[in-house]
Amino acid sequence: MVGEEHVSMIPAATSKVWSAEVNGQKHEVIAKSNSILLDVLRDKTGCLGVKRGCDMGTCGCCTVMIDGVPRLSCLTMAHEVNGCEITTVEGLANGSHLAPIQQCFAEHGGSQCGFCTPGFLVASQALLNNNANPTEKEISCAIEGNLCRCTGYQQIVQSIQAAAAIHRGEADAVTSNNAAHSDPHPDGPEM
Amino acid sequence: MLMPPFELHQPKSVSEACTIAKELMLAGDEFDWIAGGTDLIPNYKWHINSKPHVISLAGIDGLSEISMTEIGCMARLHDIAESEDVHPIVSDAASKVASSLIRRNATLGGNLCLDTRCFWFNQTEEWRSSIDWCHKCDCGTGADCRVIPNQNELCVATYQGDIAPTLMVLDASVHLIGPDGTRVMPLVEFYKLDGMTRNVLQPGEFMLKITLPDDVADWTGSYRKLRVRDSWDFPEAGAAAAWKKGDRTTLRVATTALESIPRRHDTEVSESNGDVKAICDAVFKSTKPVNNTSLPPRYRRNMIKVLIKRACEE
Amino acid sequence: MSKDYVQQAGMNKDVRVDGKRVAGKLRFNPPGSGGSRPEMAERDLEFIPELEGGNEPQPAGAHSHDSFRTGTTVGKRTPLVDANAKVTGQAWYGDDIRLPNEIIGRIVRSPYHYAKVKSIDTTKAEELPGVIAVSTGVDAPSKFGVLPVTKDEHAMAVEKVRHVGDLVACVAATDEETARQAAALIEVEYEVLDAIHDPKKGLLDVDEPIHWRGPYHIGSTNVQKRVFQEFGDRESLEDTTKAFHNGKWKFMGVNHGFTEPHAVVAHWDSNGRLQLYTPQQVPHYAHRALATVLEVPMHQINVIRTFVGGGFGGKSDPFPHEMCAAILARKAGRPVRITFDREEVFWVNRGRHPSHIEVKINANDDAKISGFEIDALIDGGGFASFGHVTSYYNGVLATAPYELGSFHYTGARVWTNKPASGAMRGHGAVNTRCAIEVGLDDIAEKLQVDPIDLRLANLLPPHSKTITGFRITSNGMRQALERVREGSNWDEKFRKLPIGKGIGIGCGFFISGSGLPIHWDPHNFPHATVHLQIDMDGGVTVHTGAADIGQGSSTAVAQVVAEVLALPLEMVHVRSHESDTSPVDLGSYSSRVTFMNANAAIGAALEIREKLLNAAGEMLELPPEKLVLNDRRIYFKKDPTIGVSYLDALHKSQEDIGALIASGAYRTPPMGGVHKGAAAGLAPAYSFSAYVAEVEVDVDTGLIKCTDVWAAHDCGKALNPLAVEGQIIGSCHMGLGQVLSEQMVYGRTGHLQNPNFLEYKIPSVHEMPNVTPIIIESCDPEGPFGAKEAGEGPLLPILPAVVNAVYDAIGVRVNDLPLTPDKVWAAISKKMKREKIDDARDLPVPRLDFSELQKKLIKRSAEHKIRDSRRQRREDEGPYLNGVLFGLDPTLPPEEQDETWKISVKPDSSQLDNLGLAGTAWTKKEQRHMEGGK
Repeated sequence: MVGEEHVSMIPAATSKVWSAEVNGQKHEVIAKSNSILLDVLRDKTGCLGVKRGCDMGTCGCCTVMIDGVPRLSCLTMAHEVNGCEITTVEGLANGSHLAPIQQCFAEHGGSQCGFCTPGFLVASQALLNNNANPTEKEISCAIEGNLCRCTGYQQIVQSIQAAAAIHRGEADAVTSNNAAHSDPHPDGPEM
Repeated sequence: MLMPPFELHQPKSVSEACTIAKELMLAGDEFDWIAGGTDLIPNYKWHINSKPHVISLAGIDGLSEISMTEIGCMARLHDIAESEDVHPIVSDAASKVASSLIRRNATLGGNLCLDTRCFWFNQTEEWRSSIDWCHKCDCGTGADCRVIPNQNELCVATYQGDIAPTLMVLDASVHLIGPDGTRVMPLVEFYKLDGMTRNVLQPGEFMLKITLPDDVADWTGSYRKLRVRDSWDFPEAGAAAAWKKGDRTTLRVATTALESIPRRHDTEVSESNGDVKAICDAVFKSTKPVNNTSLPPRYRRNMIKVLIKRACEE
Repeated sequence: MSKDYVQQAGMNKDVRVDGKRVAGKLRFNPPGSGGSRPEMAERDLEFIPELEGGNEPQPAGAHSHDSFRTGTTVGKRTPLVDANAKVTGQAWYGDDIRLPNEIIGRIVRSPYHYAKVKSIDTTKAEELPGVIAVSTGVDAPSKFGVLPVTKDEHAMAVEKVRHVGDLVACVAATDEETARQAAALIEVEYEVLDAIHDPKKGLLDVDEPIHWRGPYHIGSTNVQKRVFQEFGDRESLEDTTKAFHNGKWKFMGVNHGFTEPHAVVAHWDSNGRLQLYTPQQVPHYAHRALATVLEVPMHQINVIRTFVGGGFGGKSDPFPHEMCAAILARKAGRPVRITFDREEVFWVNRGRHPSHIEVKINANDDAKISGFEIDALIDGGGFASFGHVTSYYNGVLATAPYELGSFHYTGARVWTNKPASGAMRGHGAVNTRCAIEVGLDDIAEKLQVDPIDLRLANLLPPHSKTITGFRITSNGMRQALERVREGSNWDEKFRKLPIGKGIGIGCGFFISGSGLPIHWDPHNFPHATVHLQIDMDGGVTVHTGAADIGQGSSTAVAQVVAEVLALPLEMVHVRSHESDTSPVDLGSYSSRVTFMNANAAIGAALEIREKLLNAAGEMLELPPEKLVLNDRRIYFKKDPTIGVSYLDALHKSQEDIGALIASGAYRTPPMGGVHKGAAAGLAPAYSFSAYVAEVEVDVDTGLIKCTDVWAAHDCGKALNPLAVEGQIIGSCHMGLGQVLSEQMVYGRTGHLQNPNFLEYKIPSVHEMPNVTPIIIESCDPEGPFGAKEAGEGPLLPILPAVVNAVYDAIGVRVNDLPLTPDKVWAAISKKMKREKIDDARDLPVPRLDFSELQKKLIKRSAEHKIRDSRRQRREDEGPYLNGVLFGLDPTLPPEEQDETWKISVKPDSSQLDNLGLAGTAWTKKEQRHMEGGK
């Protein structure tokens, strides 16, 4: 090129059944062989909470837990995680009750524009699942793959520390504040 | 971003993988191996040298062993970094790769076979069309190299893996397997000086594991990485040094991110009689990085002196 | 306060033991109001001002809103009202809008920097199965742009493409794969033109300027806007005997780096109205531009602002891709969704201008800033965007917080063949501010005084006017400097740390809302309007067009309404997404939302409050001014047991006057001078900030690590300290990125080399210093409850603070941002060579021996401190104009007192030879003044 088009002449990928347990719910969908997990989660399972920020592993907005391990869904082939348990931000709350990590992000300013929040929440929850008493260094390492442009990370680290205290039983979770009261489309338009 | 169309093959065993590779080769189909995917997937999304078939190694058991003397190619960098069994230089280098999230996916094999990088090359298809492509991914146009124009012989894209230099100074060997069986060679012989050829892997061949000498636990040293951010960034230059505890005459030095391959500097070390400053100067002289990463080559070249000096600190 | 005044319900001596009299314990009858809290809360005296009988200290004096404080939420750390949606993944951003039957749009972009579009053939694309609609520039010939004076954008190229990535055509297909394939099938024939990448070349005459402005075109250059401003005596600059600083700076362009890429969904509904979903900071301007480009009236368009995944100025222009989606959707008759790749975000850009800035400062024998000159050449890229304003801001926002003997500014913005620069957090002020603050550090060093004392002795007081006529009201600069000096232990560290460690200071000054709205039609249009409506059960709905982009504007608006009406925050709902339901608001830019919207909301809430108190007064047979409004209850000041519930008063009011609705509006007061450009930088209030940064420099590698920052920001009044701190720390992060690692790199061929988050280096958690946010409350007389902005101003000081700290650490100044390690290392190496030093650790680092002036400064700042405190509290209401420090009479304009004083917005012919780089734009004539011009 420039001027001549460059069109790949490769035939389309075949479609296969993709099945996984997403947030405790079994999903079986048809996905192309070359599908990326992020696309399958967003387009086929309705997990729009999984965000696409950079598409190359440098922002962490698409972080999900795969069998308990935090991983970048934009860098994971969908068919490689067939049969796995996947937790997205939508799966963190216990029914209508926010998980401590969600509650602490809200209360300590861990979320501003909120776009990176799902990734941070999943990465921090994965940390707290294995370590309810993380040092500041351990927290930094756990979220070093997540990019936040709003908060400067400090209030995020504080949120995680506060959530860790709840996990350790040193602080109370606020019970009245629950997800059921969160309007899914707060101030949303009629669609 | 959309992946280019390809068929993903998911063998369950090494032999199945080899069979698939062999069949594809017989049919004249091109393919790539995918391990962790952290290098391949972004490149594919940008339509960089994508192939119609991709064989995944993720479903094969037994490729992620981790011990002092052996590490499987599918061992995740996170596990290597966290492991107490791995040689500390190697786990330290692993812990410095990209970010904690990328390390969950990234593998040793992928890191060692990392595609070379260049800011004229690691761009989207639209971007590359605006520079009329480049030698490394010319899309059939016969485009010139954009780093050093008027030559389309050599590709000078930079190898920016972190772990190779540490394994080199510990004298690791690589175990490769392919349709024609297995072969073993020292890691220092694995790489080939060209940004496109990169290494000795033959079509259909992939890396199985690396092994380290039995006495590797007696060796000490360190790895130093130059980067602007302590997360995400590839090394702009890196140096590893190792020596047998108490015996500085055994000193080995290797560098990365300065040219198309990581390199062990045996000549420079032996000619300098172990004098670290002399080694630094000798490596400085023999290394000529080019302008294709974020920091300018003159700076990276000068920094190699600092990095080697620090890597050799006891 | 009268002596029998009972502030706290139930706190008088005659408390009855049956509990019923304790107002704070009264239960509400069902159905009640207030949801989860069945009992009235006691008044929170900690959050009621002292002058109103509470415990909240008021060091800056009274505020007109004090008497409406109810202690409900203002001043309390309040989670964002939409936080739950964000932490549960339910917040809906641009790409999350999935309408039934949607198709996917894709944009075809220019592969050339600069070219004429000869022809476009879309046949092959249209023939591809799955392609529903294709569009090119001929479908939308109308120009648009965020500023009415510089409309220079098209939805797609009409005649020329102006940068790599400029829009040429667009397609919509049933899926992304087909859309991408179709985009590749569109054949465009170009005639390549000579591109310009270096802004310096933009000052020269060329055959084919990037845009053509007709009679107003400056020569045949690529100068889009030039500015000249002169106040005072230029000759004062020529006295360089005492201390003179001349700093030549280069600033690389930076991108907003918001995490959410642009995405838009357009849908023409069954009534033929356009429903456009877009993450916009400024939906109203997009609304106007859409109407122009689509040629439909505004009322046929509903702009729905989705959640915005970060804006920072980067989502405030009307964007061509928004037009494209609407055009495609109209053609297709189906909803069209376009989502950008990260690279496309960089191609749209609108980030901070790459700049060449020269600053000259000189100080006189008293260490007063007698001469002050700025020359700023800014690289606007391919389009005007906000550039007209940016061109002014680079100069005029430097006229405070210091009192200046004279002020001279020449600025020019040029078009180049790069993605357009635009507005970014700290719009236009960041780069010059860095240059000035570093200049002052240098002046302090030359005068052998402490740079903090130099600043403290040269500050403009509260309630004063700057040299260009900006009206400063509240001013917390002095407290900010004092607090960071104390917090950082400055006096023990400055010029005393070992090599490789350093500490530095920087200040900031920023507008809190812009005095002139961008669109001033109709005349005297309010800047912000807020409607309130109250349901039967007492819930309040706030309708505002203020765009919450994560800064928490909805929360701030909800807070002030809740505060005035003394309602729990959960009873206040903000509806701000849809232009159909929101009153017009100018959007989230210029740090205007809290100041203007909250003021409008307070106005509306006060109207409701009055109606409620009137109703309650009638029911209780008491005059309304004797009633107290507390948590869902209105009662007699002197006996809280005499009262009615909020709901009863509300129902009474509704019986009497019908539905309870109110509308509030905010307009800026008249202000500012009359010279050309006087309106640029005018604001109803200004924020002030001072930061101290501590750094460690690896002298072998040049790598800088910022370890600690003490960040004091005067936001007037922190309505929500949690959010203010979040803004301060977040600003530090963004500014730190610009000073240490972020840059848009245009390589040898003019291509943007790093349009991705791997190579565009936004600091990670590891690069963040430990930030100590310090909130200064100067209580602005016109701000809502005293508040001013906190979103942009806090970014400014971090850059110079770090640059100054680096100098303190290694004794070398680098005037080229970002301070990437290679530049720092090169500067160190150069110095080592010059001083013949082998080991960088032996480099001499700056030390400070105070001169005689130091004592003089301390004395002067002590006097000024008293002056400032009196003025802040309005104990001294006399006029204060910039220049008093230099002996001018504040009651007279300076030009009447001093013959040499000039006010000029155009250089006279004798000055033309002596102008700086940007100033040379003035050597060209406008076409209309040229014989035989094009």
